[in-house]
Amino acid sequence: MSCFFGGGLFTIMVASKALEGQGENQESAICTVAIRLMTQILNWEFRGKLAVLGKSRASTLSSSPASRKSSEQLQLWHDLLVSPAKVTWILNFYEHIHQKGNAWLDLPLSVVVRQLIVLMCSLNGSIFPTDGAGTQEQHLQRLLNCIISWIDPPEYVISAVLAGTSESEMLDGCRALLAIATLCSPSSFDQLLLSFRQTGTLSLLSSLTCGIIKASCVRESEEPSWTYEALEVLLETWTVILQPADLSQKVPLPPSGIEAASAVFQTFVEFEMKLSESSALDEDDADDMAAFSDEAREDRLSAVALIARTVPSVSLSLLTMLVSKCFSEIRQSLGSETTTRCLEQLHWLTILSGHVLADPGEGETPTVPESILAVSAEPATHPAVSLSFALIDVAQQSLDATFRTTLSPRMMEAIVWFFGRWVETYLMPDHAGRGPSSTPSGHEGQEVSVGVLFDGRNALNAAFGKDGGGPAVLEILVRVALTSLTAWRGEQVLQEYVSSRLLPALVRRRNVCVQLLSMGSWQELATVFARQDQMLLSLSDSVQRALSGCLCRSAQGLANADAANQYVKDLLMPMAASLAEFSGRKDLATFSQQPNVIHQVSCVLERLRGAARETIPRTQKAIFEVGVSIMKPLLVFMEIYKNQPSVVYLLLKYVVVWVDAEVVFLEPKDTTTVFNFCVQLLSVYSAHNIGKVSVSTSRSLQNEAQTEKYKDLRALLQLLTNLSSKDLFDFALHADENPDVAQVVYLGLNIITPLISADLLKYPKLCRQYFTLLMHMLEVYPEKVAKISPEGFSQILGTLEFGLRQQDVEVVNMTLSALGALGVFQYQALCKGDDGLGTQSRTSGGDDVLSHFLKLLMHFLLFEDYSNDLVEPAADALLPLILCNTALFEKLKQELVQRHQDVVSQERVSTAFHSLSKGIEITSTIDRSIRRKFRSNLFVFLNDLRGFLRTR
Amino acid sequence: MSDEEHHFDNKADAGASKTYPQQAGTIRKNAYIVIKQRPCKVVEVSTSKTGKHGHAKCHFVGIDIFTGKKLEDIVPSSHNCDVPEVTRTDYQLIDISEDGFVSLLTENGDTKDDLRLPTDDQLNAQISTGFHDGKDLVVTVMSALGEEQICALKDIGPK
Repeated sequence: MSCFFGGGLFTIMVASKALEGQGENQESAICTVAIRLMTQILNWEFRGKLAVLGKSRASTLSSSPASRKSSEQLQLWHDLLVSPAKVTWILNFYEHIHQKGNAWLDLPLSVVVRQLIVLMCSLNGSIFPTDGAGTQEQHLQRLLNCIISWIDPPEYVISAVLAGTSESEMLDGCRALLAIATLCSPSSFDQLLLSFRQTGTLSLLSSLTCGIIKASCVRESEEPSWTYEALEVLLETWTVILQPADLSQKVPLPPSGIEAASAVFQTFVEFEMKLSESSALDEDDADDMAAFSDEAREDRLSAVALIARTVPSVSLSLLTMLVSKCFSEIRQSLGSETTTRCLEQLHWLTILSGHVLADPGEGETPTVPESILAVSAEPATHPAVSLSFALIDVAQQSLDATFRTTLSPRMMEAIVWFFGRWVETYLMPDHAGRGPSSTPSGHEGQEVSVGVLFDGRNALNAAFGKDGGGPAVLEILVRVALTSLTAWRGEQVLQEYVSSRLLPALVRRRNVCVQLLSMGSWQELATVFARQDQMLLSLSDSVQRALSGCLCRSAQGLANADAANQYVKDLLMPMAASLAEFSGRKDLATFSQQPNVIHQVSCVLERLRGAARETIPRTQKAIFEVGVSIMKPLLVFMEIYKNQPSVVYLLLKYVVVWVDAEVVFLEPKDTTTVFNFCVQLLSVYSAHNIGKVSVSTSRSLQNEAQTEKYKDLRALLQLLTNLSSKDLFDFALHADENPDVAQVVYLGLNIITPLISADLLKYPKLCRQYFTLLMHMLEVYPEKVAKISPEGFSQILGTLEFGLRQQDVEVVNMTLSALGALGVFQYQALCKGDDGLGTQSRTSGGDDVLSHFLKLLMHFLLFEDYSNDLVEPAADALLPLILCNTALFEKLKQELVQRHQDVVSQERVSTAFHSLSKGIEITSTIDRSIRRKFRSNLFVFLNDLRGFLRTR
Repeated sequence: MSDEEHHFDNKADAGASKTYPQQAGTIRKNAYIVIKQRPCKVVEVSTSKTGKHGHAKCHFVGIDIFTGKKLEDIVPSSHNCDVPEVTRTDYQLIDISEDGFVSLLTENGDTKDDLRLPTDDQLNAQISTGFHDGKDLVVTVMSALGEEQICALKDIGPK
């Protein structure tokens, strides 16, 4: 290998001489290939290779220990790959290309040489001698010295690219910087350049980033341009410097870095402000919808936020200033195009502020960024407090009905988004007052003499803590939520944000809930909600659910379970009562079909579902009672809305969620109630849907109808699955205390199985769900099958046969498990002399059903196409089936043997059958070792016989 | 539900051709809507904005529930749309006359003879063969905006 590398170099040396005189020719092609080879070699996993290398050498030489060998090897590799002379040679080689100008930059040769250089920048680890990273540093310096000419001076390079020079060299320069930054600490990264220049690497990085940002202003093409790519790489470089993958390695930036970072942030803000201004009047609303979800944009903002946080005082003050400026401009120029421009700017500033101030709290509790916390200032002047208040001011003004007309939905979305993020980090934090030198309350904070310095935590606590300004801010935010839901009619995106971001953030923590419940605005929201006010009824379905869930969730702030239950009841009972009232009307048949009634019923169902989804132990009782109180109305609605599939679906979904939430808590008595209700519900559903053929003139409506049915059935299966989980929770209880889960589920299965047509089982999700449930039931309660009705039993077996013929391997697998479970049950019963499946197992023809499956399975295994993965589960199913009916198995064997005329073939078949039963001892239990043995026997059996039988 | 909204529910057929206003933003997929005077089922809803800082608007794609034609509409999402009252009534099938009209038995014992067999071949065939085989058939009649059509069929077992 070493010869290869040396050889490669040699080739290049020869070729390069030829190359330098002429242009593109054969030699340059050879060079390109040779350099590619070097790149490949550098890409090797050195640690692994060397270990192997060292080992094998050691064994052949058999004298010195492997470790010493490998360290010698390392030295060897180092000399070969990164010795100064060789690196310098490559760098000089590229220098020649570089001087040849633009025309050469994109030649394959130049591209691969640059690639090699970038790769050398990222070399790390044991290839460098352990001398305190000195060698590595020199190596990087050497490389950087060459690379610098690709990107420095930034203004010159960028304007050259703008004027038409190829950008590839500059981009590779950026990539090299990223590679180097990954290997260095911020200060050593900065030092690299200082050894031969006045300014550090960080200032170069900064001016390069600024230059690129400015250049992207000039170029406004649709496609991802080079400025975009360069900025990506450079921002990633910043991220690597500011937030290394290993956080323990995080070290503060050197002073020059702080300056550099602040320059980058300012340029970025300036550029984006201009961009917002110019794009404010764009009609492009596709971009609008993706605004926050756009991952690239999110990444970019996070990277910039990271830069901003290194200079919190500068960045936060700048943002505060700009927010205030934009906002006052909006207030002055009412209703003109300028307002729109300012709105777009303010919108962008709000989003950026959200990123700078807080981290997204997905799945974890976010904390205030350290650098912001480290800023010590009085509460009134702390930059984070000022920026927050600037935005709180915007939020507060948005409550004003006249001023609201000036604002736009998009602006409100940004505000709501911002506070959804901000609340979790800043508002009434749990750890308030736990800081090392904290003063417990904001009021005291105000009185502290000037001599005492505030650290950030105190300032923030004073401004937004429970005893500081927290409650006042909370009040404003609840009002904003309420106004957004009621005053911004039809603005669904905004309302989604309120119900899925802001409100959940408010009710997530208990201490905030305590505060919420004591506030007038929250009470108002709850009252409007419970009263079924038209204002809130016009919200979309997902908003209804989320809102209802949040209101119920806030009950966790109440001191005890009684109060919490009462609160939830007050919230939901009026709605349950109105459902009951509707269902009792004499003119229900006509009344219920009016679209506005349908709408209201749907809304209430959505709300109840949202509430049930947020069941917490403390409110479980109330949710259960509400559910019980509407059982009757729901059955009536199920009947009356049989022709309104959308209502039926909502109804089923509610019951599914409700049962899921409640099943864990139920007492035996309540369980019976729930079970009976579910069975009734299933019966009503089934009565209206069985044997029904709907047609429609339009194919798409037909498909819709099919989809609706499919969704209903999924919900029903889900309901049964939820019910069947009851047993898992109540394992410890006495069986006779609880109603029989299995019986209920089998009954349910009986009811819905006829509804599941073969067509519907083509939906993979439904199919899997159905067979999962069936498998579970047959594995856990085979004895119950014996007790269900003959029709029900044959239905279940019918679906098993259907399942066996499915394409989906998983479904077949589950079917086989179910069959196996059934077989084992029967076999054990036979051994004990019990009845087992008893009369059930005889079909009308007098044939044993399990025998039927034995035949089916044998045929399946020997004559049909299936995946090899299925042999094992098939073996598990086959063994008990054979044991149940050895006589039939013997008969099948004879049939197969007699199909062949010649003795040799007959011999072969019977040998194969013999090998199948080899080593299987027949006992009353089928334990693991027997199963395993049978599996391997079956493999052998199929290998011997399958191909043979199928070709004859 | 407040009292003032109950005033139209006294006659059995009062709502048959009525429409109701509902805010566009709350109309979801699979609901009904009136587009260009036709009752439609919504098969697609999308929302967008009129310019970056404008208000939301809904774009509906509906399918005429009687003719199967596709219709589209754009409405500001805070405005109201007309929602038709679509009812489905089950009748027992008594007779099929030679000119393609069906005779149906209403709940109070009268007959309803003003409906034709459906235009859909499949359903048509099923009704005809089912009827001639002597099966007990229940047909569902869909009505909206004063128009009626047989839309479904249920076999409630042989006689």
